[in-house]
Amino acid sequence: MNEARILYAMAYRQLKRYFRAKSRLLGTLINPLVFFLFFGMGWSATLRGSMARQLFGGIDYLSFLAPGIVMMAIFTASLVGGISVIWDREFGFLKEVLVAPASRAYAILGRALGDSLTSVLQGLIILIPLYFVAPALKLEGLVPTLVVGFVTALTFNSLGIAIASKMRSPEGFQLIMSLVTLPLIFLSGAFYPIDNLPQYAKVIFYINPLTFAVDSSRYLLTGKSSLNLILDLIVLLSLSLIFLIISIRIFKESTID
Amino acid sequence: MVKKAISVRGLTKRFGDLVAVDGISFDVENGEIFGFLGPNGAGKTTTINILVTIMKPTSGEAFVAGYNVLEDPVKVRERIGVVFQDNTVDRNLTGWENLYIHGLIYGLKGEELRRKIEESLEFAELTKFRDVPVKNYSGGMVRRLEIARALMHKPEVLFLDEPTIGLDPHTRARIWEYIRRLREEGGVTIFMTTHYMDEAEKLCDRVAIIDHGKIVAIGSPDELKSNLGGDILYVKVSDRTISLKEFAEEILEEGTALSYKLLGDTLAFKVRSASKAIPLVFRVADSMNVTIEEIKYAQPSLGDVFLHYTGRELRDEEGDWKEMARMRIAVRRRR
Repeated sequence: MNEARILYAMAYRQLKRYFRAKSRLLGTLINPLVFFLFFGMGWSATLRGSMARQLFGGIDYLSFLAPGIVMMAIFTASLVGGISVIWDREFGFLKEVLVAPASRAYAILGRALGDSLTSVLQGLIILIPLYFVAPALKLEGLVPTLVVGFVTALTFNSLGIAIASKMRSPEGFQLIMSLVTLPLIFLSGAFYPIDNLPQYAKVIFYINPLTFAVDSSRYLLTGKSSLNLILDLIVLLSLSLIFLIISIRIFKESTID
Repeated sequence: MVKKAISVRGLTKRFGDLVAVDGISFDVENGEIFGFLGPNGAGKTTTINILVTIMKPTSGEAFVAGYNVLEDPVKVRERIGVVFQDNTVDRNLTGWENLYIHGLIYGLKGEELRRKIEESLEFAELTKFRDVPVKNYSGGMVRRLEIARALMHKPEVLFLDEPTIGLDPHTRARIWEYIRRLREEGGVTIFMTTHYMDEAEKLCDRVAIIDHGKIVAIGSPDELKSNLGGDILYVKVSDRTISLKEFAEEILEEGTALSYKLLGDTLAFKVRSASKAIPLVFRVADSMNVTIEEIKYAQPSLGDVFLHYTGRELRDEEGDWKEMARMRIAVRRRR
C-alpha cells in the first residue's frame, strides 16, 4: 500500500513538472519536427513515383518517415527525463527521497512510469498532425503504437537513470545527449529502410534498441516493416525489463558519498 | 532504561586520507535542542548525513530514536524529519505540491493528508502562496516550507543542518522564532548544526563544539562559558621593546591572569575579574616599557569558548565567504 503511494507520488511529480515546463516540452518537440520537415520535404519530393515507393515497401516517404519521427520524439523525451535524475541530485530533491522511509525501488519506478507517460504524450502530440500529411498512416495503429512507445520510453528512461547515476556532475549532460541520441536516431532505420544494407552494417542497427521501436511502430502504423513484429516486441519488452532492473539496482545503492 | 533521542559512540567517517568525523561520542536527551557548533569543514554535515542514514560511517555506532542507523535505517527514517543545508524542495512545484508528495511518501492519505498540508502551510505562513511554484519563493519562505514539511509526519527527532545559512538577519530571527515555537509545543527533539555562535547561544539547550572532526567541549552554553571562569581581557599593544610573549608571561607570573592566547598584536587573557586585572596589567606594562593602545574586556561568549578549546577564532566572515562562493555556484548552475 505504501509502495503504491510512493509510486503514485513520484509519477505525480513527473507529470506536474512536465505540464509546468513549457520550454522543455517545446524543446523536445522541435528536433523531431525539424527532421520531419527537412528530411520529409526533400526526400518525398525527390522519391516520387512507383519505383521510389517500392524502396519503402510500397508507401510514400512521408508515411515511411512518420513512425520513426514519433519514436524519435518518445526516445529523446524519455532519455532526457531519465538523465535529469542528475538535476535531482544537484538540486537536492534526491535527498528528500533517500531520507524517506519509502521503498527506493518503487520511488525510481514511479519516476520512470511518470516520465514514460509524458514521453508517450510527446509522441502523441507529434503523431496527430502527421496523420494529415502522411496518407498511408492507419488510424487503428494509433493506440498500439502508443503502447509500444510506452515500453520504448521505459527502456530509455531507465537507461538514462542508469547513465545519470554514473555521472558525478551535470557538466557531461549535453555531451552525453549528443553522443548518445544522434547516433542512435540515425542508426535506427527511422530515415531509410535497413533491408538493403550490407550484413555488417545491419549488425549495428540490430544492437540499437531504437531500431526495434521504429520497426514495430512502422508496422503498426503502415503495415510495412523490415523485421518481425513479435521479435520487435520481445526485444523491447526484455530490454525495458533489463534496464529497469539495472536502474533500480543502482538507485537502491544510492547514498550520497 | 529510557531511550535517548540520539546516542552516538565512537563514530568515525573517513574519506580516503581525510578523517571528517573522528571518533565522536555524545547523547541527546528527549525534547532538548542540541547544537553542533563548529566552522565549515568541522564534520557537522557528515555527522548529520550519518545520523539520517544517507551515509555509512567508517566505524562506530549511532542510535536515533532508539534504532541503529546501520541496522534499522527504515525505522530511523520513519521517526525523523530532516532539513538539509541545501534546499531539497522541487523548485518547479508549488508549496502545496511539495507537501502533498512528502505526505504521500510518508504514508499519509486522504482527508488526513489534506488536513496536514493545510496545517503545514499555516505553520509556515505560506497559505497565501500555496499555489505558487517554489522557485518564486524567497530563501526564508523555502526554509519555512522545508521545516514545516519535515514536521508534517510528526517526527520524534528533527535534524536541521545550518537552518539559517545564507539568510538575511531579519529572516534568521524569524526562523529562530519557529524553532523556539517547536520547543514550546514540545514533543520533538531537535539536533541542529550551525557555525553561527549567536544561533547556538540563543537556541540550544546544549551545545557540542566540534573542530577537525572531534568534539572539544560539550554542555549548556552557560556551563561552557562559566567553565572558562571569569572574563576575557583583550590587550592591544602598540609600542614595545620586548616580545608579546614575554609581556604575557610576566603578567601570568604576577598571578593576574589564568592563561592567555595570542591574536595578532592583541593578547587575550583569561582573568577572574577584569576590573581587578586591568590596573595590574597597566602596572606590568609600565615596568616593561610597553605601551598599551587599547584594552577591553568581555564576558566570555561561545566564540571565546571555541577559541579556548581550539586556539582559533570561529569567524562568521570565513563561513560567509565560502558560503557566498558556494551559493554563487549554485545560482550559476540554476540558470
